[in-house]
Amino acid sequence: MNEIEQTGLATMRDCWITGGTSFDLAPAAWKDIAAGANPDERERRLLAIAAQALEIALRPAAPKTLKRRPPLPELALPMLPERLRPILRAALKHAADARAKSRVVALVASRGFVLHPMDWMPAASDQTSPDVYAPWIDWQAGVDGEKHTDREQLTAQNWDDFYPAARRSALSDLRRTAPAVARELIETKGSSEPAEIRLTLIALMHFGLGPDDVPFLKSLSADRSGKVRELAGRLLARLGQHGQPGDGGPENPTAELAAFITEGKSGFIRRRTTYSPAKLKSPAQERRRAELFETCNLVDLAARFGVTEPDFIGAWQFGADNNVDILVARMVAASGSDASVTHMADTLVAEGGKPALFVLHLMPRLDSRRQRVLIRLILKDTQYLGALSLAEGIEAGWLDWADLTNGETLPALRAAVAGNDDAVKRGADQLLEALGFLVTAAAAEKLIGDVVAAGMAPSAPSLGLLRLNASLSGP
Amino acid sequence: MKTIEALAPDQASLSSASKLTRQSNWPRLEKSEQLGLIWGECQGSGSNPYRVVVDTGDHGYKCTCPSRKFPCKHTLALMWIAATTPASFVAADSTPEWVNDWLGRRRKTTSQPAASVPGAGGKSIGEALRDDESAVVEDAAAIERREAAQRKRAQDTRSAVSAALDELDQWISDQLRLGLAGFVDNSSDRCRRIAARLVDMKATALAGRIDEIPSRLMGLRSEERPDAAIRELGKLVLLAKAWRSTPDDAELRRLVSTSESREQVLANSDAIQVESVWEVLGEKIETRRDGLVSHSTWLLDLKSASPRFALLLDYFPASAGRRSNAFTPGDRFDARLVFYPARQPLRALVVERKGDVLSREWPDFGFDAADPLASHVAKLDTAPWLTDCPIMLPPGAILLDDRGDAWWQSADDPHGIALPIADTVSPTLLGLDLAATAALWSGSRLHLLAAQSGFGRLDLS
Repeated sequence: MNEIEQTGLATMRDCWITGGTSFDLAPAAWKDIAAGANPDERERRLLAIAAQALEIALRPAAPKTLKRRPPLPELALPMLPERLRPILRAALKHAADARAKSRVVALVASRGFVLHPMDWMPAASDQTSPDVYAPWIDWQAGVDGEKHTDREQLTAQNWDDFYPAARRSALSDLRRTAPAVARELIETKGSSEPAEIRLTLIALMHFGLGPDDVPFLKSLSADRSGKVRELAGRLLARLGQHGQPGDGGPENPTAELAAFITEGKSGFIRRRTTYSPAKLKSPAQERRRAELFETCNLVDLAARFGVTEPDFIGAWQFGADNNVDILVARMVAASGSDASVTHMADTLVAEGGKPALFVLHLMPRLDSRRQRVLIRLILKDTQYLGALSLAEGIEAGWLDWADLTNGETLPALRAAVAGNDDAVKRGADQLLEALGFLVTAAAAEKLIGDVVAAGMAPSAPSLGLLRLNASLSGP
Repeated sequence: MKTIEALAPDQASLSSASKLTRQSNWPRLEKSEQLGLIWGECQGSGSNPYRVVVDTGDHGYKCTCPSRKFPCKHTLALMWIAATTPASFVAADSTPEWVNDWLGRRRKTTSQPAASVPGAGGKSIGEALRDDESAVVEDAAAIERREAAQRKRAQDTRSAVSAALDELDQWISDQLRLGLAGFVDNSSDRCRRIAARLVDMKATALAGRIDEIPSRLMGLRSEERPDAAIRELGKLVLLAKAWRSTPDDAELRRLVSTSESREQVLANSDAIQVESVWEVLGEKIETRRDGLVSHSTWLLDLKSASPRFALLLDYFPASAGRRSNAFTPGDRFDARLVFYPARQPLRALVVERKGDVLSREWPDFGFDAADPLASHVAKLDTAPWLTDCPIMLPPGAILLDDRGDAWWQSADDPHGIALPIADTVSPTLLGLDLAATAALWSGSRLHLLAAQSGFGRLDLS
């Protein structure tokens, strides 16, 4: 279309918009085609030409300010094979919340694959996904520029070259292998970061936490962020460093918490000290006690009673009040030394039954062996199977078929599937989802066959994660 | 399993079907590998079990239950059992009577051999024989009367359509006289009125197209609507003129009045047949103003040197719920398609589906990066009335403008043509280099179907 035709088309268009005949405004060549007909037909012919001209001769005007996002980085692991993507999407679709979805992601990563970005993307704020997704988290955060996220070692010099999630990932690796180097980096570079970033960096110090970290953590007591000061206090408490002096006044939170705990004696021959929750008079007092358990450290509380951490835990009367027991477990998980945590876990697991379930709160602090022992314990005692879905920070895909057959779990599952009690069936669905994350691929396949034989619909959505697991044969 | 999910009219059916996959619900499960059939009896709430039969070749089905959902939960459950525990089916020596009845009555949807089409039209042997018998007894006078009646009906239809197009011409002239600004503002009412007149006068297909103009306009920014109105109305003028010059042309008759039947297409020796490997690019499901749902499934010929597309089009009442033609985006299969005769053949029927093909990359089509719409323009030269045209775009990327609207732009020409995208796109897509993108171009917007990228195939429809 030449310039004359373009101008003609523009004026004809304006004429048609307001209404009227455009014949006199048309380019000469178009007039020739339209001429020789009645006025209506002339306009229709011109309309047909204009329509075709708009279709074939003009192109949309692209804005000058089109913005391109940086390319989505490729991840270090291969993409899940195409044939497995429908099974994955089914499992993701059935995962009710972000926590359940992150289990699907973790299972896939444990078998050496990453998800397709159109199936799942971590959020910019994601801090729980496997480290392999760090480049995508940084990409999601929309950090523009030409920074690189190479796999080179993080140093003070290249600190700014790493995007936040990639830096966090590199720093946690460094903390595991060379904790002092990592601490120096956090000390040198962390102080110039905003409080929120500072908090996540200092949280990484729980990897390889040791006495060498004490001076730096103590120096954080002057940090301008209250959350950073609190976190540093917790980490110090794990190293046995007292946060508050044991002889503080009545405004001391540890003293206030100690007042909510009853010290007693038990045993006829060998009298020993016991600690149990005091009977409180009002819900307000119970709320206050819960708050104090969340802010106080185990080492300070034990010192308040003049005993060591293991002694305090050993003397605590588990079973008197479930809610307070959970608060104690959380306090130990947050501020107890490694020895106290393992001591408590071993004691409760040895006791078995319901008290063992409190160990679930210690899970993120336990080594893999203890975690597995607890899971196997829960699976043996069918009464608390539901607790499996509460477990945090467990590895994926290690539970064998023998673990499932070594107890009452399978018979209970079969009975639930075959029965007509909807509530029991829902419980079975939840258990199958939890097992979908925990079992090996071979066990997943057997488990599917077992529950289908028991009457479960082969297509049941609750088998989704098990199906995915079974199809992912190994890393 | 993917197929079953795609076939299910809704999630509730799928869920109900999953509960019916227990063996105890099915006192009888049989198959005939020779015929590619599975059938069974499902114990429902009534005294008699529901009888269900499924053709595993083309996913045709029948169930005796009274459900208004198609396929019903019993059909889905039977397919499910076949997919997950095929050993549950006992191989039968012969098919039961009710299965035979269904086989005789049904019109094959995908695996009608072309050789058997002329004359038989998918009927059972029994029906075909009956036709032959009646042909024998019908006397010559009756035949003449019937043919005369057909000729008269055709002539009446042609006259009515001709009159409808006269009205349409006048209506278009009126819109120009009154101003397209007013047309754009009142397009819903104005189009509705002329569409109703066209239906009365047997220009049904054209009426359906005009009924959709308002929604096509409203999908654009207000400043774009007048140009879009010119394009829409101008195409109608061209279509009307083309019909007047050759009213017997199959493509024009299809676009103006009614489409030929499936049997007519299969029997048409001029209809192009293409045997190839096809990939399901994507689908588009739209509820139209006339209460019908149009379900378009777009296919790509993977053996063609240049991009060749096929459209499987299905209409059904919105009240029937969601339906599917059993194709899932990304599926690849070896099949023979017959195309409805047209200047730019696009709409097609699957004549024979031979089996699935494993996934791989799209072939390397020769692209014209200078003008990604070149193939579209070439099609408009011969069929200027076309609306949504499938195109294959060269390597490019999706970018955002200041308003947050997405555009496709060629990688080789970052300052050249950019095409606006109709829908909002996944933010993830903005970070992917697209080696090739299949989309529908409406003349003003791209509707993405699928793409190839460094991360593999992307479903975008």
